[in-house]
Amino acid sequence: MSSEDIFSSRLKLLIIMAKAFLKDCPIGKYRKQAIIENSHFVFYQSLKLSSEIGPIKNDDSRTQPGRASTGELYEEYFFYQRTQLLAVMAKALAEGRLKGKARRKALQDNLDRICETLTFNFHIKDVNFLKVA
Amino acid sequence: MSQVNIPNVKIAVIDDDLLARDFIVTVLMYCVNRDVLSFDSGLAAWQYIKDHGSLDIIISGIDVPGLSGFKLLSKFKKKYPEKKCILMSADPAHEPSARDSGADAFLAKPVSVNDLFKVVETFVV
Repeated sequence: MSSEDIFSSRLKLLIIMAKAFLKDCPIGKYRKQAIIENSHFVFYQSLKLSSEIGPIKNDDSRTQPGRASTGELYEEYFFYQRTQLLAVMAKALAEGRLKGKARRKALQDNLDRICETLTFNFHIKDVNFLKVA
Repeated sequence: MSQVNIPNVKIAVIDDDLLARDFIVTVLMYCVNRDVLSFDSGLAAWQYIKDHGSLDIIISGIDVPGLSGFKLLSKFKKKYPEKKCILMSADPAHEPSARDSGADAFLAKPVSVNDLFKVVETFVV
């Protein structure tokens, strides 16, 4: 299992955890601990993957066949920024700090965007995991 | 950047780049726990300000259609000198001119979660 596969699996788990929170599923001691640990992993891995993209410039050096275009890199950059944000949000919800209507809306928006990108851009066929929550 | 504390803060994000704009709105909405306004042109933002009164903080791209970030900054600061205006650009060469024009901060694009957390920490919390 590559580090990319592990990141993908942990991100999916974090999505399920956050969706469960939005549906008011109870968070016990063990779930809380699992969410916090998973958030840390997703946060640091997203940070690493985001920094690997490097500066995004409008040159054509990256737009050769087989290489990601500037637009794709830009989308990827924001995807990892959103997964970092999700990790921050998930940690806050596990610690009982994610309160308020606008914060819940922000969490929902972020989850929607991440799932949209996972489904359409990363061509993940198995989206059944989203039905778990 | 000067430290201030704004209760019930009203923020608007102005950028024609939907990906960046929506991301900034999500981060700020989460941080301040309030709705955050968004506009795809400087003109639409200025129209809103004229019709509905002041906003506490505006975060605008420099190269936005209608009314550029610099022009919006100038109009906004003239009317509300005590309010905050943050300019963003992918071109770092814009930073000195943004500061000379009276911007309270400059954000290099593409913005990161950390940049936005720092903005909230400095201007809101």
